[in-house]
Amino acid sequence: MSNAVATPPVDAGAGRTVPAERTGRTTLSMNQAINAALHDALAENPRTLVLGEDVGRLGGVFRVTDGLQAKFGADRVFDTPLAESGILGMSAGLAMAGYHPIPEVQFDGFTYPAINQLVTQIARMNFRTRGALPMPITLRMPSFGGIQSPELHSESLEWLFAHVAGLKVVSPSSPHQAYHLLRHAAQRPDPVVYMEPKSRYWQKGRVDFDEPGNLEGAHVARAGRHLTLVAWGAMVSRCLQAAEAAAEDGLDVEVLDLRWLSPIDADALAASISKTRRAVVVHEAPKTAGLGAEVSQLITERCFGTLKAPVERVTGFDVPFPSGSLENEYIPNIDRILYGIQRVLEYRRG
Amino acid sequence: MAELSFPLPDLGEGLIEATILEWLVEEGEHVERNQPLVEVETTKSSLELPSPQTGVVVRTHGGPGETIDVGDPLIVFEVPDDTAGIIGTVPKDEKPKRRVRLNVDLDD
Repeated sequence: MSNAVATPPVDAGAGRTVPAERTGRTTLSMNQAINAALHDALAENPRTLVLGEDVGRLGGVFRVTDGLQAKFGADRVFDTPLAESGILGMSAGLAMAGYHPIPEVQFDGFTYPAINQLVTQIARMNFRTRGALPMPITLRMPSFGGIQSPELHSESLEWLFAHVAGLKVVSPSSPHQAYHLLRHAAQRPDPVVYMEPKSRYWQKGRVDFDEPGNLEGAHVARAGRHLTLVAWGAMVSRCLQAAEAAAEDGLDVEVLDLRWLSPIDADALAASISKTRRAVVVHEAPKTAGLGAEVSQLITERCFGTLKAPVERVTGFDVPFPSGSLENEYIPNIDRILYGIQRVLEYRRG
Repeated sequence: MAELSFPLPDLGEGLIEATILEWLVEEGEHVERNQPLVEVETTKSSLELPSPQTGVVVRTHGGPGETIDVGDPLIVFEVPDDTAGIIGTVPKDEKPKRRVRLNVDLDD
Protein backbone atom coordinates (compact mmCIF):
# COMPACT_ATOMS: atom_id res chain seq x y z
CA MET A 1 0.00 0.00 0.00
CA SER A 2 1.42 3.35 -1.03
CA ASN A 3 1.74 6.09 1.55
CA ALA A 4 0.55 8.65 -0.95
CA VAL A 5 -3.04 9.83 -0.63
CA ALA A 6 -4.88 8.81 -3.77
CA THR A 7 -6.48 11.49 -5.84
CA PRO A 8 -10.10 11.58 -4.79
CA PRO A 9 -12.65 10.45 -7.33
CA VAL A 10 -14.45 13.14 -9.22
CA ASP A 11 -17.69 14.06 -7.51
CA ALA A 12 -20.12 13.11 -10.23
CA GLY A 13 -22.93 14.77 -8.33
CA ALA A 14 -21.20 18.13 -7.87
CA GLY A 15 -23.48 20.97 -8.78
CA ARG A 16 -26.37 18.66 -9.55
CA THR A 17 -29.17 17.41 -7.41
CA VAL A 18 -28.81 13.70 -6.84
CA PRO A 19 -32.22 12.04 -6.91
CA ALA A 20 -33.20 10.92 -3.44
CA GLU A 21 -33.10 7.14 -3.15
CA ARG A 22 -35.46 7.13 -0.23
CA THR A 23 -38.94 8.54 -0.33
CA GLY A 24 -42.01 8.42 1.83
CA ARG A 25 -42.28 7.73 5.53
CA THR A 26 -41.12 4.80 7.61
CA THR A 27 -40.44 3.86 11.22
CA LEU A 28 -36.81 3.50 12.25
CA SER A 29 -34.79 3.41 15.44
CA MET A 30 -32.19 6.14 15.73
CA ASN A 31 -29.26 3.83 15.01
CA GLN A 32 -31.05 2.64 11.87
CA ALA A 33 -31.79 6.23 10.85
CA ILE A 34 -28.12 7.20 11.22
CA ASN A 35 -27.13 4.06 9.32
CA ALA A 36 -29.47 5.12 6.49
CA ALA A 37 -28.01 8.64 6.48
CA LEU A 38 -24.46 7.30 6.28
CA HIS A 39 -25.50 4.93 3.51
CA ASP A 40 -27.06 7.74 1.51
CA ALA A 41 -24.12 10.10 2.09
CA LEU A 42 -21.74 7.40 0.80
CA ALA A 43 -24.00 6.70 -2.17
CA GLU A 44 -24.40 10.36 -3.05
CA ASN A 45 -20.77 11.45 -2.95
CA PRO A 46 -17.91 9.15 -4.02
CA ARG A 47 -15.54 11.29 -1.93
CA THR A 48 -17.36 10.49 1.31
CA LEU A 49 -15.53 8.05 3.61
CA VAL A 50 -16.49 6.42 6.92
CA LEU A 51 -13.65 5.54 9.28
CA GLY A 52 -13.23 4.61 12.93
CA GLU A 53 -12.79 1.83 15.44
CA ASP A 54 -14.91 -1.22 14.54
CA VAL A 55 -17.02 0.67 11.99
CA GLY A 56 -16.13 -1.77 9.21
CA ARG A 57 -16.25 -5.50 9.81
CA LEU A 58 -18.14 -5.33 13.09
CA GLY A 59 -20.56 -2.64 11.92
CA GLY A 60 -20.06 -0.43 14.98
CA VAL A 61 -20.56 -1.17 18.66
CA PHE A 62 -24.09 0.26 18.34
CA ARG A 63 -24.74 -1.25 14.88
CA VAL A 64 -24.72 2.25 13.39
CA THR A 65 -22.38 1.34 10.51
CA ASP A 66 -23.82 -2.15 10.02
CA GLY A 67 -23.53 -3.37 6.42
CA LEU A 68 -21.81 -0.26 5.07
CA GLN A 69 -18.43 -1.90 4.45
CA ALA A 70 -20.09 -4.80 2.62
CA LYS A 71 -21.97 -2.33 0.42
CA PHE A 72 -19.30 0.28 -0.26
CA GLY A 73 -16.08 -1.67 0.23
CA ALA A 74 -13.19 -1.48 2.69
CA ASP A 75 -11.64 1.44 0.78
CA ARG A 76 -14.52 3.72 1.77
CA VAL A 77 -15.67 2.24 5.08
CA PHE A 78 -12.64 1.17 7.07
CA ASP A 79 -11.46 0.17 10.51
CA THR A 80 -8.73 2.19 12.17
CA PRO A 81 -6.34 1.37 15.01
CA LEU A 82 -7.44 2.25 18.55
CA ALA A 83 -5.93 5.73 18.31
CA GLU A 84 -8.37 8.62 18.21
CA SER A 85 -5.66 11.17 17.43
CA GLY A 86 -4.90 9.05 14.36
CA ILE A 87 -8.56 8.90 13.34
CA LEU A 88 -8.92 12.68 13.43
CA GLY A 89 -5.43 13.37 12.09
CA MET A 90 -6.14 11.09 9.14
CA SER A 91 -9.49 12.81 8.64
CA ALA A 92 -7.76 16.21 8.50
CA GLY A 93 -5.33 14.91 5.88
CA LEU A 94 -8.10 13.30 3.85
CA ALA A 95 -10.08 16.54 3.94
CA MET A 96 -7.01 18.43 2.70
CA ALA A 97 -6.78 15.95 -0.16
CA GLY A 98 -10.38 16.56 -1.18
CA TYR A 99 -12.25 13.82 0.62
CA HIS A 100 -15.30 14.22 2.87
CA PRO A 101 -14.50 12.00 5.86
CA ILE A 102 -17.11 10.99 8.42
CA PRO A 103 -14.94 9.73 11.29
CA GLU A 104 -16.43 8.04 14.33
CA VAL A 105 -15.01 8.38 17.81
CA GLN A 106 -16.43 5.25 19.41
CA PHE A 107 -17.46 6.96 22.66
CA ASP A 108 -17.50 10.65 23.51
CA GLY A 109 -15.02 10.11 26.33
CA PHE A 110 -12.47 8.83 23.83
CA THR A 111 -12.29 12.29 22.24
CA TYR A 112 -9.80 13.51 24.81
CA PRO A 113 -6.78 11.85 23.15
CA ALA A 114 -7.82 13.50 19.85
CA ILE A 115 -8.41 17.02 21.18
CA ASN A 116 -5.15 18.27 19.69
CA GLN A 117 -6.10 17.19 16.16
CA LEU A 118 -9.62 18.51 16.61
CA VAL A 119 -8.80 21.90 18.13
CA THR A 120 -5.44 22.81 16.63
CA GLN A 121 -5.95 21.37 13.14
CA ILE A 122 -9.53 20.58 12.10
CA ALA A 123 -11.19 23.58 13.76
CA ARG A 124 -8.57 26.09 12.57
CA MET A 125 -7.53 24.94 9.11
CA ASN A 126 -10.10 26.94 7.19
CA PHE A 127 -9.27 30.07 9.21
CA ARG A 128 -5.50 29.48 9.04
CA THR A 129 -5.50 29.08 5.26
CA ARG A 130 -7.97 31.91 4.66
CA GLY A 131 -10.45 29.48 3.16
CA ALA A 132 -8.00 27.57 0.96
CA LEU A 133 -8.35 24.35 2.98
CA PRO A 134 -11.86 23.87 4.32
CA MET A 135 -12.43 20.82 6.52
CA PRO A 136 -15.63 19.09 5.37
CA ILE A 137 -15.50 16.61 8.25
CA THR A 138 -18.51 15.25 10.14
CA LEU A 139 -17.27 13.83 13.43
CA ARG A 140 -19.82 11.37 14.83
CA MET A 141 -19.74 10.18 18.40
CA PRO A 142 -22.13 8.29 20.68
CA SER A 143 -22.64 10.88 23.39
CA PHE A 144 -24.12 11.54 26.83
CA GLY A 145 -25.14 8.91 29.39
CA GLY A 146 -28.09 6.64 29.99
CA ILE A 147 -26.66 3.18 29.26
CA GLN A 148 -24.84 2.58 32.56
CA SER A 149 -21.53 2.29 30.76
CA PRO A 150 -18.01 1.97 32.13
CA GLU A 151 -16.02 5.12 32.87
CA LEU A 152 -15.29 7.49 29.95
CA HIS A 153 -17.93 5.81 27.76
CA SER A 154 -20.47 8.45 28.80
CA GLU A 155 -19.58 12.12 28.84
CA SER A 156 -21.39 15.30 27.89
CA LEU A 157 -18.83 17.35 25.99
CA GLU A 158 -20.98 19.89 24.15
CA TRP A 159 -19.63 22.65 26.44
CA LEU A 160 -16.13 21.88 25.17
CA PHE A 161 -16.88 21.59 21.44
CA ALA A 162 -19.18 24.62 21.47
CA HIS A 163 -16.38 26.75 22.90
CA VAL A 164 -13.94 25.87 20.09
CA ALA A 165 -14.20 28.46 17.33
CA GLY A 166 -14.39 26.80 13.93
CA LEU A 167 -16.47 23.81 15.02
CA LYS A 168 -20.20 23.46 14.55
CA VAL A 169 -21.99 21.22 17.04
CA VAL A 170 -25.32 19.47 16.58
CA SER A 171 -27.22 16.78 18.48
CA PRO A 172 -30.37 15.06 17.19
CA SER A 173 -33.15 14.00 19.54
CA SER A 174 -35.27 11.74 17.29
CA PRO A 175 -34.73 9.29 14.39
CA HIS A 176 -36.21 11.78 11.90
CA GLN A 177 -33.83 14.52 12.99
CA ALA A 178 -30.94 12.08 13.22
CA TYR A 179 -31.31 11.16 9.54
CA HIS A 180 -31.77 14.66 8.18
CA LEU A 181 -29.32 16.50 10.44
CA LEU A 182 -26.59 14.00 9.56
CA ARG A 183 -27.25 14.36 5.83
CA HIS A 184 -27.24 18.12 6.30
CA ALA A 185 -24.04 18.10 8.36
CA ALA A 186 -22.24 15.83 5.87
CA GLN A 187 -22.99 18.23 3.03
CA ARG A 188 -21.52 21.25 4.84
CA PRO A 189 -18.03 22.50 3.95
CA ASP A 190 -17.05 23.01 7.60
CA PRO A 191 -16.33 20.60 10.46
CA VAL A 192 -19.40 19.50 12.40
CA VAL A 193 -19.39 17.53 15.65
CA TYR A 194 -22.47 15.30 15.50
CA MET A 195 -23.37 14.11 19.00
CA GLU A 196 -25.57 11.01 18.97
CA PRO A 197 -27.55 10.50 22.20
CA LYS A 198 -26.56 6.88 22.78
CA SER A 199 -29.41 6.16 25.20
CA ARG A 200 -31.86 6.95 22.37
CA TYR A 201 -30.34 4.63 19.74
CA TRP A 202 -33.03 1.97 20.13
CA GLN A 203 -36.15 4.12 20.39
CA LYS A 204 -38.17 4.05 17.21
CA GLY A 205 -39.81 7.01 15.54
CA ARG A 206 -41.32 8.17 12.27
CA VAL A 207 -38.86 9.30 9.62
CA ASP A 208 -40.19 11.34 6.70
CA PHE A 209 -37.62 11.29 3.91
CA ASP A 210 -39.52 13.79 1.76
CA GLU A 211 -40.08 16.48 4.40
CA PRO A 212 -36.91 17.13 6.38
CA GLY A 213 -38.31 20.35 7.84
CA ASN A 214 -36.05 23.25 8.77
CA LEU A 215 -32.64 21.84 9.65
CA GLU A 216 -31.05 25.04 10.89
CA GLY A 217 -31.45 26.29 14.42
CA ALA A 218 -33.71 25.09 17.20
CA HIS A 219 -36.93 23.11 17.00
CA VAL A 220 -40.05 23.48 19.15
CA ALA A 221 -40.59 19.89 20.32
CA ARG A 222 -43.71 20.82 22.27
CA ALA A 223 -45.54 24.12 22.29
CA GLY A 224 -46.61 25.63 25.61
CA ARG A 225 -47.58 28.94 27.21
CA HIS A 226 -46.21 29.12 30.75
CA LEU A 227 -42.56 28.05 30.82
CA THR A 228 -39.85 26.89 28.38
CA LEU A 229 -37.63 23.89 29.00
CA VAL A 230 -34.48 24.23 26.88
CA ALA A 231 -32.67 20.96 26.14
CA TRP A 232 -30.77 18.94 23.55
CA GLY A 233 -29.92 15.30 22.82
CA ALA A 234 -31.34 12.73 25.23
CA MET A 235 -32.64 15.41 27.60
CA VAL A 236 -35.28 16.44 25.05
CA SER A 237 -37.33 13.28 25.59
CA ARG A 238 -36.88 13.62 29.35
CA CYS A 239 -38.11 17.21 29.20
CA LEU A 240 -41.11 16.09 27.16
CA GLN A 241 -41.92 13.63 29.95
CA ALA A 242 -41.47 16.37 32.54
CA ALA A 243 -43.78 18.61 30.48
CA GLU A 244 -46.44 15.88 30.53
CA ALA A 245 -46.11 15.63 34.30
CA ALA A 246 -46.37 19.44 34.62
CA ALA A 247 -49.49 19.42 32.46
CA GLU A 248 -51.14 17.12 35.01
CA ASP A 249 -50.57 19.91 37.54
CA GLY A 250 -51.98 22.62 35.27
CA LEU A 251 -48.74 24.05 33.84
CA ASP A 252 -48.41 24.33 30.06
CA VAL A 253 -44.72 23.78 29.30
CA GLU A 254 -42.93 24.40 26.01
CA VAL A 255 -39.92 22.22 25.14
CA LEU A 256 -37.33 23.84 22.89
CA ASP A 257 -34.87 21.37 21.36
CA LEU A 258 -31.80 23.49 20.62
CA ARG A 259 -30.35 20.90 18.19
CA TRP A 260 -27.46 23.17 17.14
CA LEU A 261 -25.22 23.88 20.13
CA SER A 262 -22.84 25.95 18.03
CA PRO A 263 -24.08 28.28 16.84
CA ILE A 264 -26.96 28.51 19.31
CA ASP A 265 -30.23 29.76 17.84
CA ALA A 266 -30.64 32.87 20.01
CA ASP A 267 -33.64 34.03 17.95
CA ALA A 268 -35.55 30.85 18.77
CA LEU A 269 -34.70 31.24 22.45
CA ALA A 270 -35.96 34.81 22.39
CA ALA A 271 -39.14 33.89 20.52
CA SER A 272 -40.01 31.13 22.98
CA ILE A 273 -39.15 32.89 26.22
CA SER A 274 -40.72 36.19 25.13
CA LYS A 275 -43.92 34.17 25.06
CA THR A 276 -43.55 32.03 28.19
CA ARG A 277 -41.41 34.46 30.26
CA ARG A 278 -39.93 31.59 32.27
CA ALA A 279 -37.07 29.24 31.37
CA VAL A 280 -35.27 26.18 32.72
CA VAL A 281 -32.19 24.81 30.91
CA VAL A 282 -31.54 21.08 31.29
CA HIS A 283 -28.28 19.30 30.45
CA GLU A 284 -26.21 16.32 31.53
CA ALA A 285 -22.84 18.07 31.76
CA PRO A 286 -21.71 19.61 35.05
CA LYS A 287 -23.32 22.96 35.85
CA THR A 288 -20.19 25.07 36.23
CA ALA A 289 -19.21 26.61 32.86
CA GLY A 290 -21.71 24.31 31.14
CA LEU A 291 -23.68 25.33 28.08
CA GLY A 292 -26.64 26.13 30.35
CA ALA A 293 -24.77 29.26 31.45
CA GLU A 294 -24.44 30.42 27.84
CA VAL A 295 -28.10 29.70 27.11
CA SER A 296 -29.13 31.49 30.27
CA GLN A 297 -27.11 34.57 29.32
CA LEU A 298 -28.51 34.63 25.78
CA ILE A 299 -32.02 34.57 27.26
CA THR A 300 -31.15 37.27 29.77
CA GLU A 301 -29.70 39.54 27.08
CA ARG A 302 -32.81 39.32 24.97
CA CYS A 303 -35.64 38.81 27.47
CA PHE A 304 -34.44 40.53 30.68
CA GLY A 305 -37.34 42.95 30.73
CA THR A 306 -40.03 40.32 30.46
CA LEU A 307 -38.53 37.42 32.46
CA LYS A 308 -40.62 36.49 35.50
CA ALA A 309 -37.64 34.81 37.23
CA PRO A 310 -33.94 34.15 36.74
CA VAL A 311 -33.26 31.31 34.29
CA GLU A 312 -32.93 28.07 36.26
CA ARG A 313 -30.42 25.32 35.44
CA VAL A 314 -31.02 21.59 36.06
CA THR A 315 -27.79 19.78 35.21
CA GLY A 316 -25.32 17.10 36.13
CA PHE A 317 -23.24 17.77 39.22
CA ASP A 318 -19.71 19.17 39.29
CA VAL A 319 -18.13 15.72 39.41
CA PRO A 320 -16.78 13.34 36.74
CA PHE A 321 -19.65 11.63 34.87
CA PRO A 322 -20.32 8.54 37.03
CA SER A 323 -20.21 5.06 35.52
CA GLY A 324 -22.68 2.20 35.93
CA SER A 325 -25.99 2.69 37.71
CA LEU A 326 -24.63 5.63 39.71
CA GLU A 327 -25.38 7.75 36.65
CA ASN A 328 -29.07 7.57 37.65
CA GLU A 329 -28.23 9.89 40.56
CA TYR A 330 -26.35 12.28 38.27
CA ILE A 331 -28.38 12.71 35.09
CA PRO A 332 -31.34 15.08 35.58
CA ASN A 333 -34.53 13.07 36.14
CA ILE A 334 -38.17 14.13 35.98
CA ASP A 335 -38.30 15.11 39.64
CA ARG A 336 -35.21 17.30 39.47
CA ILE A 337 -36.63 19.04 36.40
CA LEU A 338 -39.94 19.58 38.22
CA TYR A 339 -38.08 21.04 41.23
CA GLY A 340 -36.33 23.42 38.84
CA ILE A 341 -39.68 24.45 37.41
CA GLN A 342 -41.04 24.96 40.93
CA ARG A 343 -38.13 27.25 41.84
CA VAL A 344 -38.95 29.43 38.83
CA LEU A 345 -42.67 29.48 39.69
CA GLU A 346 -42.00 30.51 43.29
CA TYR A 347 -39.66 33.38 42.45
CA ARG A 348 -41.03 36.78 43.33
CA ARG A 349 -39.31 40.09 42.64
CA GLY A 350 -38.35 42.39 45.49
CA MET B 1 -29.86 -12.71 15.13
CA ALA B 2 -26.11 -12.23 15.08
CA GLU B 3 -23.31 -14.46 16.36
CA LEU B 4 -20.66 -12.99 18.61
CA SER B 5 -17.46 -14.90 19.23
CA PHE B 6 -15.26 -14.27 22.25
CA PRO B 7 -11.66 -15.41 22.42
CA LEU B 8 -9.86 -16.59 25.53
CA PRO B 9 -8.82 -13.29 27.12
CA ASP B 10 -5.28 -12.41 28.18
CA LEU B 11 -5.21 -13.67 31.75
CA GLY B 12 -2.20 -11.56 32.65
CA GLU B 13 1.21 -12.44 34.06
CA GLY B 14 2.46 -13.44 30.64
CA LEU B 15 0.28 -16.54 30.43
CA ILE B 16 -0.32 -17.72 26.88
CA GLU B 17 -2.80 -20.56 27.36
CA ALA B 18 -5.30 -22.09 29.75
CA THR B 19 -6.75 -25.57 30.24
CA ILE B 20 -10.51 -26.05 30.46
CA LEU B 21 -11.49 -27.62 33.76
CA GLU B 22 -15.26 -27.43 33.54
CA TRP B 23 -17.86 -25.61 31.50
CA LEU B 24 -20.47 -24.01 33.77
CA VAL B 25 -22.92 -23.30 30.89
CA GLU B 26 -24.33 -25.48 28.13
CA GLU B 27 -24.94 -24.85 24.47
CA GLY B 28 -28.42 -23.41 24.04
CA GLU B 29 -28.41 -21.90 27.52
CA HIS B 30 -29.26 -18.22 28.08
CA VAL B 31 -26.59 -16.52 30.15
CA GLU B 32 -26.46 -13.10 31.75
CA ARG B 33 -23.51 -10.76 31.62
CA ASN B 34 -20.95 -11.55 34.36
CA GLN B 35 -22.43 -15.01 34.96
CA PRO B 36 -19.58 -17.57 35.44
CA LEU B 37 -18.99 -19.35 32.12
CA VAL B 38 -16.10 -21.70 32.55
CA GLU B 39 -13.47 -22.76 35.01
CA VAL B 40 -9.98 -22.77 33.56
CA GLU B 41 -6.56 -23.61 34.92
CA THR B 42 -3.34 -21.82 34.10
CA THR B 43 0.17 -22.54 35.30
CA LYS B 44 -0.50 -19.98 38.05
CA SER B 45 -4.01 -20.72 39.27
CA SER B 46 -7.48 -21.87 38.42
CA LEU B 47 -10.19 -19.27 37.92
CA GLU B 48 -13.73 -18.73 36.72
CA LEU B 49 -14.26 -16.53 33.66
CA PRO B 50 -17.37 -14.33 33.76
CA SER B 51 -19.53 -13.87 30.66
CA PRO B 52 -18.74 -10.63 28.81
CA GLN B 53 -22.20 -10.70 27.19
CA THR B 54 -25.85 -11.49 27.73
CA GLY B 55 -27.09 -13.99 25.13
CA VAL B 56 -27.65 -17.59 24.19
CA VAL B 57 -24.62 -19.88 24.02
CA VAL B 58 -24.25 -21.23 20.49
CA ARG B 59 -20.93 -23.07 20.79
CA THR B 60 -18.21 -23.68 23.33
CA HIS B 61 -14.66 -24.50 22.28
CA GLY B 62 -12.66 -27.17 24.05
CA GLY B 63 -13.73 -29.83 26.54
CA PRO B 64 -12.34 -30.56 30.00
CA GLY B 65 -8.60 -31.16 29.86
CA GLU B 66 -8.12 -29.41 26.53
CA THR B 67 -5.83 -26.39 26.27
CA ILE B 68 -6.77 -23.15 24.51
CA ASP B 69 -4.34 -20.42 23.46
CA VAL B 70 -5.01 -16.84 24.49
CA GLY B 71 -6.82 -15.20 21.57
CA ASP B 72 -8.35 -18.42 20.22
CA PRO B 73 -12.15 -18.78 20.18
CA LEU B 74 -13.61 -19.74 23.55
CA ILE B 75 -17.35 -19.28 23.21
CA VAL B 76 -19.90 -18.03 20.66
CA PHE B 77 -23.14 -16.27 21.61
CA GLU B 78 -26.27 -15.55 19.66
CA VAL B 79 -27.60 -12.05 20.31
CA PRO B 80 -30.31 -9.89 18.71
CA ASP B 81 -28.96 -7.98 15.70
CA ASP B 82 -29.58 -4.57 17.20
CA THR B 83 -27.70 -5.24 20.40
CA ALA B 84 -24.72 -7.18 19.01
CA GLY B 85 -21.50 -5.86 20.46
CA ILE B 86 -22.93 -2.98 22.45
CA ILE B 87 -21.34 -1.73 25.62
CA GLY B 88 -23.54 -0.88 28.58
CA THR B 89 -27.25 -1.57 29.00
CA VAL B 90 -30.05 -0.90 26.54
CA PRO B 91 -32.33 1.46 28.48
CA LYS B 92 -35.95 0.52 28.94
CA ASP B 93 -38.31 3.02 27.36
CA GLU B 94 -40.84 3.08 30.15
CA LYS B 95 -42.84 5.92 31.57
CA PRO B 96 -40.82 7.39 34.42
CA LYS B 97 -42.24 7.64 37.90
CA ARG B 98 -42.68 11.10 39.34
CA ARG B 99 -42.80 12.02 42.99
CA VAL B 100 -42.70 15.82 42.81
CA ARG B 101 -45.99 17.67 42.39
CA LEU B 102 -46.01 21.28 41.21
CA ASN B 103 -47.70 24.02 43.14
CA VAL B 104 -48.88 26.16 40.23
CA ASP B 105 -49.84 29.69 41.26
CA LEU B 106 -49.17 31.87 38.24
CA ASP B 107 -49.24 35.61 38.83
CA ASP B 108 -49.83 36.43 35.18
